[in-house]
Amino acid sequence: MADQQDQEKGCYTEHGVSGYGVAVKLTRPEAMNDQAIKKMAEAMMLAIAQKCMDRGARTIGHIKSHIRTEAGTLKADTIGLPHGAYSSGSLEYPVKDLYLAVNSIISGIVENEVKGATLEGIHEVAEGQGFTVAKEKEHAYFDQFDFTTSKQEYVRQLEEMLKE
Amino acid sequence: MKITQIAGFLGCGKTTLLLRLSKKLSDGGKRKVALIVNEIGEIPVDGKIIEESGLRVKDIGGGCICCEIASTFAKTIYNLYKDFHPEHILVEPTGVAVPHQVKLAARMSGRDAKISIGPAVVLFDATRPAELLDMDMLGQLVTSQVKDADVLAISKVDIVSEDQVQEAIERVRQYNPTAEIIQLSSFKEWGVDRIIEIILDWKE
Repeated sequence: MADQQDQEKGCYTEHGVSGYGVAVKLTRPEAMNDQAIKKMAEAMMLAIAQKCMDRGARTIGHIKSHIRTEAGTLKADTIGLPHGAYSSGSLEYPVKDLYLAVNSIISGIVENEVKGATLEGIHEVAEGQGFTVAKEKEHAYFDQFDFTTSKQEYVRQLEEMLKE
Repeated sequence: MKITQIAGFLGCGKTTLLLRLSKKLSDGGKRKVALIVNEIGEIPVDGKIIEESGLRVKDIGGGCICCEIASTFAKTIYNLYKDFHPEHILVEPTGVAVPHQVKLAARMSGRDAKISIGPAVVLFDATRPAELLDMDMLGQLVTSQVKDADVLAISKVDIVSEDQVQEAIERVRQYNPTAEIIQLSSFKEWGVDRIIEIILDWKE
């Protein structure tokens, strides 16, 4: 089929909107249950939102997260501090390792500022809950999973995604 | 193969509506429905969430389908047409996409695939009308989305007052006097059936 030359910059940049996405592995010595992880994820979303506003953002488009673990999937998001954060999902049992993807779309600050706020928010909140950021990868895709596989294989796939 | 977009600014509830619409539109497997989800943040979080609901979805990341990666979008439509033969494709563009440009990008696939363009259903978040419309540059973007709508869905009406719903309706009506306005709550399924009717009946 015929191709078309894509533009270099997205239309959204004209409107002062910037996006940044990152995938990280968080690990801690003690397992954490789903309620505590959801609470942490909500706090993380709000921390990133606050840091974006502190850097001069005009408004939060959205900040979304997707947390995969060997025991299930959780998610959390916010559309801004006045709106609070929302989380959902459940885990079969408490876990020590989390594979977290965060996507921040913000109006009024450049991508590098969105990146700074996103990474600071992740580190600050996760480390405050005893997690270490074991791996970090920009523009990674938690993609192409086989959900029917064993838990060991599922974790191997997640680890593979975070390899450099 | 009808291509319908569920557009609207970030955080307005597009993904939640898409989940509801795709299940209802497929009508227990009687109709073949494919989904295309586009995100600009390089991590396609929404697509992963939809997949885990058991639906087939094509993620397009790394840019906006209305401009930066319009040709990728057109190729994705063509590949779905060739390999899956859906009757309907529901498209969730990024929250910063301009609906008429998404339509133009979709039409590019019409060179190789037999398509029709469905309505641009644009969601408008009833919880933050002033935040969205009264900003300088952002307001222009949201206004463009509202102007391009064939159907305006005032979203999250279950969590605001009737006065707030009316305020949102009055605000968007100023920019688009002709689009049908629907009061939508995807969680409570208010307005979802009407959107399905419009999609099914829509003629270009």
